[in-house]
Amino acid sequence: MPTDVLDRELVHSGHVGCPGCGATIAMRFVLKALGEKTIMVLPACCWSVIAGPYPQSALKIPVLHAAFETGGATATGVRAALDMKGDTETTVLTWAGDGGTFDIGFQSLSGAVERDENFIYVCYDNEAYMNTGVQRSSSTPYGAWTTTTTGKDWKKLRKKNIVEALVAHRIPYAATASIAFPEDLLRKAQKAKNMKGSRFLHIYASCPTGWRIPSEMSIKIARMAVQTNIFPLYEVEEGLRYTINYRPKEYLVREYFRLQGRFKHLTEKDLDQIQQMVNEDWELLLRKAGEHV
Amino acid sequence: MIMNKYVNPDNLYIARSYLTTESNKTGSWRFLRPCYDEKTAPCSIACPAGEDIPRIEMMATQGLFKEAWEKILIENPFPSVCGRVCFHPCEGSCNRRDFDSAVAIHSLERFIADTAIRYGISPELEKKPSRKQRIAIVGAGTAGLAAAWFLSLLGYSCDVFEASSEVGGVLRWGIPLYRLPLSALRHDIKQITELGVAIFTGKKVSKEMLSELKKKYDAVFIGCGHSLGMPLSVPGENLSGVSEGLEFLRQIRDGKSPVCSGVTAIIGGGNTAVDVARSVVRLGGKALLLYRRRRQDMPALALEVEMALEEGVELEELVAPAVISEENGKILLTLQEMKVEGEECGRDRVIAATGKNRQVRVERILKAIGMQASESWQQADRTDNEILTLSHSVLDSRGREAVMVLGGDIVNKTKSVVDAVASGKQAALALDILFQEGIEAVVPKLQACLVGPGSSLSMEIFMGGERRLRNKHVVSYEEINTDYFRFSPRVTQPRLLKEERIQSFEEIDLKISAHMAMKEAERCFNCGLCNQCDNCFIFCPDTSVILGRDHQGRHINYDYCKGCGLCVVECPRNAMSLGEEKS
Ligand SMILES: Cc1ncc(C[n+]2csc(CCOP(=O)(O)OP(=O)(O)O)c2C)c(N)n1
Ligand code: SF4
Ligand SMILES: [Mg+2]
Repeated sequence: MPTDVLDRELVHSGHVGCPGCGATIAMRFVLKALGEKTIMVLPACCWSVIAGPYPQSALKIPVLHAAFETGGATATGVRAALDMKGDTETTVLTWAGDGGTFDIGFQSLSGAVERDENFIYVCYDNEAYMNTGVQRSSSTPYGAWTTTTTGKDWKKLRKKNIVEALVAHRIPYAATASIAFPEDLLRKAQKAKNMKGSRFLHIYASCPTGWRIPSEMSIKIARMAVQTNIFPLYEVEEGLRYTINYRPKEYLVREYFRLQGRFKHLTEKDLDQIQQMVNEDWELLLRKAGEHV
Repeated sequence: MIMNKYVNPDNLYIARSYLTTESNKTGSWRFLRPCYDEKTAPCSIACPAGEDIPRIEMMATQGLFKEAWEKILIENPFPSVCGRVCFHPCEGSCNRRDFDSAVAIHSLERFIADTAIRYGISPELEKKPSRKQRIAIVGAGTAGLAAAWFLSLLGYSCDVFEASSEVGGVLRWGIPLYRLPLSALRHDIKQITELGVAIFTGKKVSKEMLSELKKKYDAVFIGCGHSLGMPLSVPGENLSGVSEGLEFLRQIRDGKSPVCSGVTAIIGGGNTAVDVARSVVRLGGKALLLYRRRRQDMPALALEVEMALEEGVELEELVAPAVISEENGKILLTLQEMKVEGEECGRDRVIAATGKNRQVRVERILKAIGMQASESWQQADRTDNEILTLSHSVLDSRGREAVMVLGGDIVNKTKSVVDAVASGKQAALALDILFQEGIEAVVPKLQACLVGPGSSLSMEIFMGGERRLRNKHVVSYEEINTDYFRFSPRVTQPRLLKEERIQSFEEIDLKISAHMAMKEAERCFNCGLCNQCDNCFIFCPDTSVILGRDHQGRHINYDYCKGCGLCVVECPRNAMSLGEEKS
């Protein structure tokens, strides 16, 4: 990684992200990789607030605040406008939360990538609607507490596999990345930047406030999500070529769940079941990557 | 108010931000405060010479071998020797033991010293301006030479008087070449003489000469070691076939080949006993090692014992000599069998097993049961409470003549090379404090130069170096973020095969390559030290770690730092701390 990439800084201090916010770490990394010539489309999410109230901005690049469900469509328009001006150099980046991606913004995203619009879509995934107070989304994992899945009614449905949904569109590039693996993340963002067409990055971004974890643990937990296979690091080119970027250490999911308040109600039996679900997903991924033995 | 430079003069009817968020001082949210806070590594407090091991290994990782060598020299002038014969207590307390296995600190020390020899480099060390006091050093063993080294760095001129024809004491005359080649010893000594220390060999200091020295010098350091064997206290020990093991080793190191035909019995269980036994084997004899306790109780290094047995030394445990007599020109040794019963001083006690005696016929007996001072004035009078008794030296500043200092084996509890270095260092620092500030200042000032909460002194701290800023907290294994380290096998020290070993006195431990050394040094966690990995900068969610040219290489911008603590947790080596914010 050239040091000038790592050293450049496009996020200002003084933003109002929570202490230890994984989404701001993700933003710092992605903008380091993409550089100044980037224009951002920002549908409603925590980052709409972190980016600053008018007339302040936490970012050194132009940002277009957009409606919650319009990440894909607005980017399409921005790209078309730039192209008309003859600016093919500027990268158009949609930066959306999991709610804005998996749920309400899904049709807009699906439409844009089906047309192979020339832009990068980043979903920073904190696994719930955090900005409005921790409501569950289709990204909230099995077993989690949220303010809409409380007490005995913790979420008993699986997390949607958004990367596979994007892969099904046969887009040029779809990848997962994690704030705990900066080198891998920066490499993927730079790789995406140097490609054309629809590119999708799914970035795991811990949320100390919504997950009921201590702020200093947000990287540790993100790292464990990868180490336990809960969030495998991989990339898919042209919807076909899978590459798994990290060989996990066979850690047990139990270790990951134990550290987080949002999972504290789970019993040993629940954790065994979750372990099985994770193993199943991992085997499926290995098969797709042609690495199954 | 700064307008966005990209604002289009045509009105777009879109509100555009023109200020940054930097006017929000989010530092006011903070109730915990991270800071850079380098701490103490466990290995460095286990080292009697207080070497800055985590820093040395960090330098070696970066290929800064000369700097690493100088880092050792500031605390220990004998890296080439200690890299070979030290009992390396550092490795026993290495945090990496809880991860995979200890860092091979011993092999690395030797590698660093050998590299300095290979490139013929000279160290550049800070030397204090000259002082007027002159110091005489009696005995050029490890302690005396170390005292001369540290005193010279502190600006004193030193004259060393040595009875033998060459300096080095036990290192020169008592350790077999297969453990310590002459070139290795001479290289360390060369650094000492190049500092300007004057050495007079063949000068045995008598009681009379000592009174002369006391008049001519401001201080006299006595480090003559122990040269008189301890008595076995059994009948027949004065027979001509019974002699001192250390004397036997001395003859060999003097170029002679003492006769070793037949069986030689060696009495003792320390390193000298093992050295003697292995030397006997190399001279073509049979060695029978007799020890009154068991193998696991032997003070000799376990590896040395293991190699001795491989080479054909025979070990008999739980036997003590009872009577020695002569029979047809041979020695008849009656052995009392011992047995383990009860405990004393924290270890198993052995007592005579009544009625169990045995006899062996041997050619000769070599004693290696310990040594004592040869003259009474070389011993410390520990009953006199007007003299200052420290852990590794004794100071006597009464009277108007020179200050007398005793050091090395005659005062040290553990009689090892590295403890002798510690003794020379303690004596040098104590003398400097005494000359500059008086006797009352000695204990408190030495106290301030200890490495962490341990008892080893640091010359670097004494000289006001960077190390004095280090937190005394000893980093534990749990405080290392092991997610940033990978399992990696410890380097295996290459050695001569046993068949090759017994042929000659050739050095057994072979060199390791620079590649192997750097790989091994990289295994070190560098407990408590910052190696500029930049994790704090990389992971800060608030862009509040600012890279800069300051001493640390970066600093925290407390105007914005919210105190999330991520930098502290993600610091692999515990070089940061999180403290409560004082409002
Ligand atoms: C159409 C519409 N419905 C609801 C909202 C309210 N709203 C704003 S942000 C948000 C949640 C965003 O969740 P997510 O996309 O996961 O981002 P996060 O806040 O978790 O970072 C909601 C429900 C809105 N702005 N627009
Ligand atoms: S890992 Fe390095 S610094 Fe830590 S105890 Fe071992 S040798 Fe010392
Ligand atoms: Mg969300």
